[in-house]
Amino acid sequence: MKARILNHDQVLTVVDLLRARGYEVIAPFCRDEESRRDTFFDVVTDDNRAHVRVHVANPFYPPKRYVLPHIERLFRIGTGSGTFDIQPTYEHPKRAIFGIRSCDVAGIWHLDRFYLGREFRDTYYEQRRRNLFLVNVVCSDPNVDIADECFCVCADTGPAARDHFDLQLMDLHDGEFMAVAGTPAGEALFANPVFRKGTEAHVERRRAILSDVRKRFKTTTSWFPATVRYVSQGKILDKTWEEIGNRCLECGGCTYVCPACTCFTVTDRKVGPDEIERVRIWDSCALGGFTRMAGGHNPRKAVHDRRNRRFFRKLAHYFIQRELSMACLGCGRCAAVCHGDVGMPSVVEMIRRAMGETGRLSATAGGEQS
Amino acid sequence: MSAGAENIYLPKLAVLDRVQDEIAEVKTFYWHFEDPEEQRRFGRFRPGQFAQVSVFGTGEFPLSLPPSPTEAQTFFTARQVGSCSGSLHALKPGDQFAVRGPYGNGFPMEDYYGKNLVFVAGGIGLIPLRSCIMYALAHREKFQRIQIFLGARTSRDLMYREDLRRWEQSAGVECHLTVDRADPAWNGHVGVVGSLFKKPGIEVPVDNTIAFVCGPPIMFRFVIKDLLNMGLPERCIVSTLERYMKCGVGKCGHCCIGVAYVCVDGPVFTYEQIKKLGEDI
Repeated sequence: MKARILNHDQVLTVVDLLRARGYEVIAPFCRDEESRRDTFFDVVTDDNRAHVRVHVANPFYPPKRYVLPHIERLFRIGTGSGTFDIQPTYEHPKRAIFGIRSCDVAGIWHLDRFYLGREFRDTYYEQRRRNLFLVNVVCSDPNVDIADECFCVCADTGPAARDHFDLQLMDLHDGEFMAVAGTPAGEALFANPVFRKGTEAHVERRRAILSDVRKRFKTTTSWFPATVRYVSQGKILDKTWEEIGNRCLECGGCTYVCPACTCFTVTDRKVGPDEIERVRIWDSCALGGFTRMAGGHNPRKAVHDRRNRRFFRKLAHYFIQRELSMACLGCGRCAAVCHGDVGMPSVVEMIRRAMGETGRLSATAGGEQS
Repeated sequence: MSAGAENIYLPKLAVLDRVQDEIAEVKTFYWHFEDPEEQRRFGRFRPGQFAQVSVFGTGEFPLSLPPSPTEAQTFFTARQVGSCSGSLHALKPGDQFAVRGPYGNGFPMEDYYGKNLVFVAGGIGLIPLRSCIMYALAHREKFQRIQIFLGARTSRDLMYREDLRRWEQSAGVECHLTVDRADPAWNGHVGVVGSLFKKPGIEVPVDNTIAFVCGPPIMFRFVIKDLLNMGLPERCIVSTLERYMKCGVGKCGHCCIGVAYVCVDGPVFTYEQIKKLGEDI
């Protein structure tokens, strides 16, 4: 991969270059100076360009919505002509996300694997994804970029993405940024004179910063791989899932902020006297109605069954192999929004403790517990 | 949209031809695609597959395919329980709706050639099994014995009566009916469907046998127990699972049990597989 250097005050040139090439550029913004976590992705305009944040706490509402909108129309059904007239509606904007964090880059890659990597390709996702340009910004400022709940180092998705971006920018803290091209489209931007060749010293500086940043995460656990193993092998006792389930308030927040959650529901709605539209809407496995069938039978009645489901779907080996990508990227959003403190890091911790107890119990009982 | 790429969510228009009452709240809907080419393509489905049915303005829902691909007509049988099935029940002959599919793995009927087939259905569990039964009868010479055990709550809850009459009279198939509660109109066996296995004169083959089990969860549990006790291996018991589904193509996530998406990895599973899914069904 090719790398170049550009000056700190020229980093938004990337935004300008993309806008000049006809991209609608999305970038992170901050509501105001005080509310550091009140951040959001929005479309860059001439008016707000100066407020684009390079270092920013990752917004809770993930950039996933640019490839999988919260509510997305699948097709329109005209009812006026005596016959149903089905008209699919596609959107394939030429769009770039500037400042997407490494975890979310891995999130989009996971969605690619899920929606496009299997027998049935999701047409709507494919259309939106085709012209999407990703400018990854490496989280290199531990005080701003890295939230208390971030744990990408454990999920191996950050702080610097290794792949799946078009261009990667990293602050070298000395008035310079390093740009790395991940695709020919990204490399094409290097034709602009703001980019200059770097030296070995720049590469060394990048390595030193990343090495330091890796040590600045507050939420880390070496038990992530062990948890994957226990979940995959069904080693976790129902009692542990019940403890986790007892703390779930069934708000669905974790799934709505998750950059790797893919579930949706589909419904029809009337939008005019002679028109119906079919839409898909994000859905959540945390909600009781997710598996309730017509007639009332619900195979997943208990809250802890639904929690079990979420973590099994995210961590089981089977699914990691199926998508070649894990459905948890360590962004920490679920941990930050969960009122019951059963986001991914806490669940890993609860499982770690429970497995420790199980080990002791089986030693005294002289038998296998699970 | 670029040419060639197929939109997996786009249903094709269909017309309702006629509606037939089966039992209380359950009707059979005979229909055909407006596009004859689509009708031909769809007609190559396998027993046990399902379709996504759209009633515009209400939504889309999965329905099993009760016909066999060896039959000329396409139809659904649905109980009126939710909003979508309610809207389907409100349709009149000539009305338009839409269908996409067929989806799912279906029963690997070719793998069962040369075997005894035992069908055990409870109530509307007969809907998906009807397809296999009709298929097996159309290829009668390919199979050994064919037995049908059908249970219903009362004699008024027995569906596909014409088929039942034909199966009962057919020499090539042993058809046994039972009801949970007798009424004056009924002079057959009374009891749960599993009680038929112990009825004098009935002998269920255990060797070289595939048992198809479909019905409400409670019936399913007891019948499985009976079959296992009789010595049938877990991998020789097959069923089709029902789950809430929104897409039918492995994307919406609703039907995922354990490691399986019922819509693409199922809906047909052996009991050996169902046990490994590790969740209630």
